[in-house]
Amino acid sequence: MPKSLALRDDELRSIAERLGREPSQTELHAFDAQWSEHCSYKSSRHLLKALPTKGAAVVLGPGEDSGILHLGEWNGERYGIVIAHESHNHPSQVVPFEGAATGIGGIVRDIVCMGAEVIAVADPLRFGRVDDPLSHQRYVAQGVVDGISAYGNAIGVPNIAGDVYFDERFDDNCLVNVVAIGLVKESEIIHSFAPPNADGWDIVLVGKATDASGFGGASFSSVTLDAADEDANKGAVQVPDPFLKNVLMRASYRVFEMLRERGITVGFKDLGAGGIMGCSAEICSSGGFGAEIQLRSVNVALEGLPPEVIAVGETQERLLWVLPPELTPEVLRIYNEEYTLPQIARNARAAAIGTVTARQQYVLRDGERIVMDVPIEFLTGSIRDELPYERLEAAPPPPGRAFETGVQLDELLERVLAHHDVCSREPLYRRYDGVVRGRTVLARGEADAGVIAPVPGAPFAMALSVDGNPRMSKLDPHLAAQHAVYEAVRNVVAVGARPIGLTDCLNFGNPRKIDHYSELVAAIDGLGIASRAFATPFVSGNVSLYNESKNGNAIPASPIVACVGAVDDVAQIVTLPLKRAGSVLYLLGTPQRALGGSVLIDVLGGSEPGLPSIDYDEALAHHELLLRAAKAGLLRSAHDISDGGLAVALCEMAFGTLGRGRAAIGVQLDDPFQWTHGGVGDIEALFGEAGGHVVEVAGADVEAFEALADGVTGVHEIGVTIDRPVVAIGPQAFDLHWLHGIWSQSLAQVYV
Amino acid sequence: MGRRIAVLVFPGTNSEAETLALLRDCGGEAELVHWSRAQSLPAFDAYVLPGGFAYEDRIRAGAIPAHDPMMDYVIEGAQRGKLVLGICNGAQILLEAGLVPGTGDARRPTAAFTHNASRKFVCTHVHMKLAIAPSRSPITAALAEGALLPAWAAHGQGRLAASQVHLREIERGAHLAFVYARADGSVDPAATPNGSALGCAGLLNREGNVLAIMPHPERDAWNFNHPDLREGRNMLAPSGGAPLFASFVAGVQRS
Repeated sequence: MPKSLALRDDELRSIAERLGREPSQTELHAFDAQWSEHCSYKSSRHLLKALPTKGAAVVLGPGEDSGILHLGEWNGERYGIVIAHESHNHPSQVVPFEGAATGIGGIVRDIVCMGAEVIAVADPLRFGRVDDPLSHQRYVAQGVVDGISAYGNAIGVPNIAGDVYFDERFDDNCLVNVVAIGLVKESEIIHSFAPPNADGWDIVLVGKATDASGFGGASFSSVTLDAADEDANKGAVQVPDPFLKNVLMRASYRVFEMLRERGITVGFKDLGAGGIMGCSAEICSSGGFGAEIQLRSVNVALEGLPPEVIAVGETQERLLWVLPPELTPEVLRIYNEEYTLPQIARNARAAAIGTVTARQQYVLRDGERIVMDVPIEFLTGSIRDELPYERLEAAPPPPGRAFETGVQLDELLERVLAHHDVCSREPLYRRYDGVVRGRTVLARGEADAGVIAPVPGAPFAMALSVDGNPRMSKLDPHLAAQHAVYEAVRNVVAVGARPIGLTDCLNFGNPRKIDHYSELVAAIDGLGIASRAFATPFVSGNVSLYNESKNGNAIPASPIVACVGAVDDVAQIVTLPLKRAGSVLYLLGTPQRALGGSVLIDVLGGSEPGLPSIDYDEALAHHELLLRAAKAGLLRSAHDISDGGLAVALCEMAFGTLGRGRAAIGVQLDDPFQWTHGGVGDIEALFGEAGGHVVEVAGADVEAFEALADGVTGVHEIGVTIDRPVVAIGPQAFDLHWLHGIWSQSLAQVYV
Repeated sequence: MGRRIAVLVFPGTNSEAETLALLRDCGGEAELVHWSRAQSLPAFDAYVLPGGFAYEDRIRAGAIPAHDPMMDYVIEGAQRGKLVLGICNGAQILLEAGLVPGTGDARRPTAAFTHNASRKFVCTHVHMKLAIAPSRSPITAALAEGALLPAWAAHGQGRLAASQVHLREIERGAHLAFVYARADGSVDPAATPNGSALGCAGLLNREGNVLAIMPHPERDAWNFNHPDLREGRNMLAPSGGAPLFASFVAGVQRS
């Protein structure tokens, strides 16, 4: 098995010291997985502690496989939204299809093991340059989308949100993050620890037959990628089986039903990094127990696998139960007979493989032979790396002058709309099933956030958005992390949903390099500031470090944030497309003289200092105004302002009226000077990315809207909707179909 | 005792929840029947085959599940006049089982829903238009002439393919039940998302009791699925594609 260890010498020494002997081969691989950054968060856990995790909506904060937020009540039942956020970056760079597919496969299990039904997924993606059809990144960008499509569609979970950015600094390390959402009755949550009375209970493994795939996956994702190790790296990637997962999920839902009927508390956990060893050790130790596992009882795909491969290999599609022995036969019957797992995939099944013990040792047997015997808390207890970092300098402030360019407005619009960070994402998301399960309210492309009404008969709904802007984080990770939260919150607010909680995936370079680690420290601080300001706690998250290639090309700091919103009544949802001519358009937001990190500066090829700052008080007031106006039925449409600025936001609202079997609606924007009063230049007003929203208000509702807005700063009347297919900015009108052609074709060339 | 509808679940089916929910909202007495309970199928009066990837689309979508023991009961029931509706993967299975268009023997398909012209999975909102007289089938009898139903196409293999001989037979024998259309009801090849022959979105058998449709009306079937277009109405009420299910349920109750 060609696989080297990622454990460092000092870590190896401390293991031998604690055991009082040289570790066995199996123990070495076990510690290698368990002490990897991926499993232990050794260089990030103490930093993450600073993030706010408490709030009115928090049912379960970080610590288990997923976090849970309270969504609503219906027929006397409280319903929770289960959310997890993961990355599958390294595998996707090496084998894009399988890497992205197993990314979904893995996170779906994090949701299922909380006793929840999986109701949605979302995919934030970051790719390198894809213009060259023969480049590896083009292959990665296509393979990842194919993998997400193949896996997510087959298991029957709608893909309702996501984003994608392209930048040369992702050439050697793509980012494939995935968010999954589940629905659970709060009284029926299953925890990922052995319950207090579990001494002597069975440990039951269920799913795919264990094979040699994914051996060394945890430590693989915790080192920098080396092209020379390509073959060994490929072996560390798991093999997806969405067909088996589809059946496994449904069989597990059936087990939940049986548990509900009998009212028994058990433990359930997903097998991820560290395989059988990692999962069984964590589920038992977090309940205060030890464990004893017989590796010969594990259903394997081929004979002769070494014990360390069976113990820590990361074969996909497996879960692990801790069950009272009297319940085990019924659970085995459901999986093996009712849902016929052994006929679904070769030697797939549920099997009892070990016992929970009061003795605090983690023991693995291979027949009679003991191949691992270590103190369980030493294996799973939090190890910690104190690494050096420096406080990053804040990016230089924006210049005190209006930005000038000699480029004409039509050319600016054309180049900004064609930019890969701005143009239509339909060529990607039309490959994902966004509507399976029939509960989708807003699919991708219909609004700023995906919306699902998860409980049949209940009026409430859940909104989801994922965001993080690499152009900003290249300039200032601290402020960019705040913008990631602000944008995710803003997108959820744009559909009329109240933001209730966040998750994050922190994608960074090598923590052992001081500049990369300092970025991580700064970004976490930024996330905390914005999370507190918006009163939206973090309930789960993930850290992906070592996103760096051996030649030193590291990704830009990439904190990616997901926000969950709650809608009390789907009737109050606001969508993005303009609705009627003759409405009044308002900007909720204050443009700034800060074009740093904007798409505009990127297309002009220069660089400009100064990211937009965030005025939290004003943003909160705008969100409150928008939500109250939505509830009062005063908003015909709403859209957040982000990549490409106000000009792009207005174009997209007008694009949404095309192809619907009725006349298109256009926009007449007043000359920016009329509403900025010269506070910023026209270019900053049109293309600045300081945030905010555009809302459409019917003429008859203007008075009521303005009454709500009384006393709120930064609310500007900026134009009207018109019954001509143009976007007009002051005296210049641009043909809507021409603009739409540019915007819709740009990525279609990559995703043919 | 009303007439009972079985919603079949094969290994790999993924659309059973919304299919069951809409049948029930349309007044149908429906329940899920899993593959390990195949022998309970004869007791049901009608069958619905929902979407998904039964047996992983191995060989060709629908090819393996067409030979699942559950289909013995469906074929037998269809031959005895029971109503059968297949949606997406369910439609592919009905074609592979030879029930639709039914111009050959059982399990000897004469047409297939196969790989989209793009060779890629596509998820996009479409409209399907009734292309037969409603009374041609008890399943469509309650729909209006030329009824236009919003639905979602979500498939990798939805393109009707058959020999010229069989395509002619499909046209002449009034098997072409639904075609893709624009939102305004006009029929236009550009409205077909997958390159399907004849712009076909749905096929009917000769006797009119077995219907196979590729798009999913059950995913645009309540007002909340399109808050945009159905502003101001009760968001939880059925709408959109629901009339087809209502017509099917009415047909089952009459049968």
